[in-house]
Amino acid sequence: MRPKIWRDLPAFAPQPASAGRGSIASVHGWRLREPDSGRRYTVLRLETRGGMAGYGEGGPATSAEILEARAAAIGRQPNESEYIRHRLAAVPSMEAAVNNAFLDLQGKATGTPVYQFLGGPTRFKARVLAGLEGETEEALARPLRQAAQQGFRAFTVPIPARDSMWRMQAYVDAVRARIERMRSLAGADLDFVLDAAGKLTPGDAAFVATALERNHLLWFDEPTNVLTHDGLARITDESVMPVGLGRSLHDISVFQDLLRWGAVDLVRPSLALNSLVKIRRMAAIAETHYVAVAPYHDGGPIATAAGIHLAASLPNSFIQQIPFPRSARDASLRAELASGNPETAKDGFTPLVNKPGFGIEVNEKSLDRYSEEKV
Amino acid sequence: MRRRDLLGALGALSVPAGRLRGSRHNLPSGCGCAFAPAAAIPPGSDVFKDVGSKLRITNMQVFGVTLDEKIARSDRPYVFVKLETNQGVVGWGEATLEGKAGAAMACVNDLREFIIGSDPMQSEHLYQLMYIGSFYRGGPVLGSAISGIDQAIWDIRGKVLGMPVYELLGGPVDPQGVRGYYHAQAWTLQEAKELGERTRQAGVTALKFQLPDLLEWIETDRKLKRAVKHMETLREGLGPDLDFAVDFHARPSPTVAAILLREIEPFHLFFAEEICPPENVRAMHRAARKSTTPLATGERLIAAYGFNELIDLGIVDVLQPDSAHVGGITALWKVAAAADAAGIRMAPHACEGPVGGIASLHVDAAIPNFLAQEICGFVEAGPMNRVWEDLTGFPAMRMRNGRYPLPTKPGLGFEVSEPALKRYPFQGTRPFPPAFHEDGSLASL
Repeated sequence: MRPKIWRDLPAFAPQPASAGRGSIASVHGWRLREPDSGRRYTVLRLETRGGMAGYGEGGPATSAEILEARAAAIGRQPNESEYIRHRLAAVPSMEAAVNNAFLDLQGKATGTPVYQFLGGPTRFKARVLAGLEGETEEALARPLRQAAQQGFRAFTVPIPARDSMWRMQAYVDAVRARIERMRSLAGADLDFVLDAAGKLTPGDAAFVATALERNHLLWFDEPTNVLTHDGLARITDESVMPVGLGRSLHDISVFQDLLRWGAVDLVRPSLALNSLVKIRRMAAIAETHYVAVAPYHDGGPIATAAGIHLAASLPNSFIQQIPFPRSARDASLRAELASGNPETAKDGFTPLVNKPGFGIEVNEKSLDRYSEEKV
Repeated sequence: MRRRDLLGALGALSVPAGRLRGSRHNLPSGCGCAFAPAAAIPPGSDVFKDVGSKLRITNMQVFGVTLDEKIARSDRPYVFVKLETNQGVVGWGEATLEGKAGAAMACVNDLREFIIGSDPMQSEHLYQLMYIGSFYRGGPVLGSAISGIDQAIWDIRGKVLGMPVYELLGGPVDPQGVRGYYHAQAWTLQEAKELGERTRQAGVTALKFQLPDLLEWIETDRKLKRAVKHMETLREGLGPDLDFAVDFHARPSPTVAAILLREIEPFHLFFAEEICPPENVRAMHRAARKSTTPLATGERLIAAYGFNELIDLGIVDVLQPDSAHVGGITALWKVAAAADAAGIRMAPHACEGPVGGIASLHVDAAIPNFLAQEICGFVEAGPMNRVWEDLTGFPAMRMRNGRYPLPTKPGLGFEVSEPALKRYPFQGTRPFPPAFHEDGSLASL
């Protein structure tokens, strides 16, 4: 008997349509790395037999995973997202890239923006969050001011690193001082997300969350990577600080569990690991718990564009994170990759682009230039 | 005496079923709908002929009543139900449903075959017939329609038995009347102080306010601070001797509600109402378990079943069914009974017309776990109150010394004036006015 392997996962596998003009004829991938931040992501280009190209971005992938994406997508129609969602369940970065490229193709084929495919616009602009880079307040100050000047009104601030000699009171004071310093740097009516990147234990996270309740952070992001029922309950039992979770998760049922436990105030699936069609399913579940969605994003500009289309269509999207590069080199790379730059802000929001697909032009020369490998 | 007379005489006067059939064509209704003639005897009612009364409901009318937009909100024309009997006793009820007047009227008429020819003394059986016999249970349209009919049935029962409805329910607990609260607005300390003065002078002991902003499911420092500051100003301006509630009106998520509730603890609210949307009780619990402020909810919930989870999980401190939506006097009393057993108090919602409010008073008067009765009126009587007086013949739902006086006449204790109804003809259904956030997305108002 043939052993069960993950390729057998799809509950259904439609027969590939015979050589229609819309079916996928080729799949190419670029493994990208930003020179200064070191941020990695993967861009796929899917071309139909009719010669139409669609682009989708996913998280970092190996060349073997890109080959797997190719095997899954070749011969398929761009509307077969449910098949792809199951077929590539074990390669989440490629599930995101293929299914988003499918959406881009469908939008272009029908001459409509992707947000129209996803249920139509529920808002005319999308709130955005600048993901700041930097470990110290000195390093964060300049990008914070820059981002504020460019129209961002909400920012992520990394929690200070903590070594074994930090005393707890001193640590909490340092976290609070950092938030207050950031608030004082860039003017009134700005909002902050405290990003712990999963570094704290649940107990320490609860301590910090309770101590900072009155600072009115938008939320405390990924306070811990101990995503157990009991671990998260320590935080939610003690504090009213909103908690955002999920950047490393790519299983809808796990998000459902977090919601059922009442452990999460903001659902944060990463655009690197989840296609828009997958996040829509998570959002539908979150909605019934009165919980909003704000996709985590630390990838490239093509995924940013995708995130804005998702935010435009979801009833319960709150904000779309956009990486805000510290280095000019990284910033110009991002601007070059996708013309019609989606990474802009005005008064804290970004406008929707009413153009077919994701509404951007992908610059393949730049993909070639900045990629570590093309597959 | 009167009871004996009526019930005794009814046998002789009861109308044969065949005669009733012909009389049900072209029944007047406010919505102008056409109705097929119904079977003369409601399903399942013939077996009661030897044990029931001879009283029969012979006619049902639905009235839509639209007030001027400047006087009352345009989304809620009043829907009144009038039941007539073969003995000339008439009952009134209210089925007003915000934004859905047409549907509520049509649904009242959908229940017609259950009602015409039935014995109004069987209020419980008829409630079961309308709720369970409808197969699709619950929902605000059916709930409001049942409410209108049920209130009218209780009005008839009280009149026939010669006592106010609250006496049939075991009351009054407090013969002086029923504590109430009005709606109010104050956005500055000065306004709050002046309002407090006027409120004390009027003898009123409690008020209810709104939040200053629409809220999203995650909120900003600015809006959180403004909401907390608002409640701080209210407490400071009103002084310690007035109760004040704040209606969150399901604007926040449990996430945002939890933050607000933690920070408003020192202001000692009467209660915080609808701290988040009503469908997911466990989600509400996320915020409720953090609160020392009493929490209230329930205006959008239907029948006792709609409150079951809230009561069993012990999530709130105060329940607020609306007698015009929950299923009338029958359902409101059942919710109160279950709440009482769980140590939860009742502050029934009422923001429609005068009939539902008065029906609610009768239940309030008879329940030991009663807290306060809402009415969408203000400390100073306004033009809406003059219309209500025109409709009911008395200053309906106006407090004296902080209490609504109890009606003393049998039934609900008043008659709706049909000539007055004609002065406010139905102008059609208008939607509940929606609200939108800065980015154009829909807000919970």
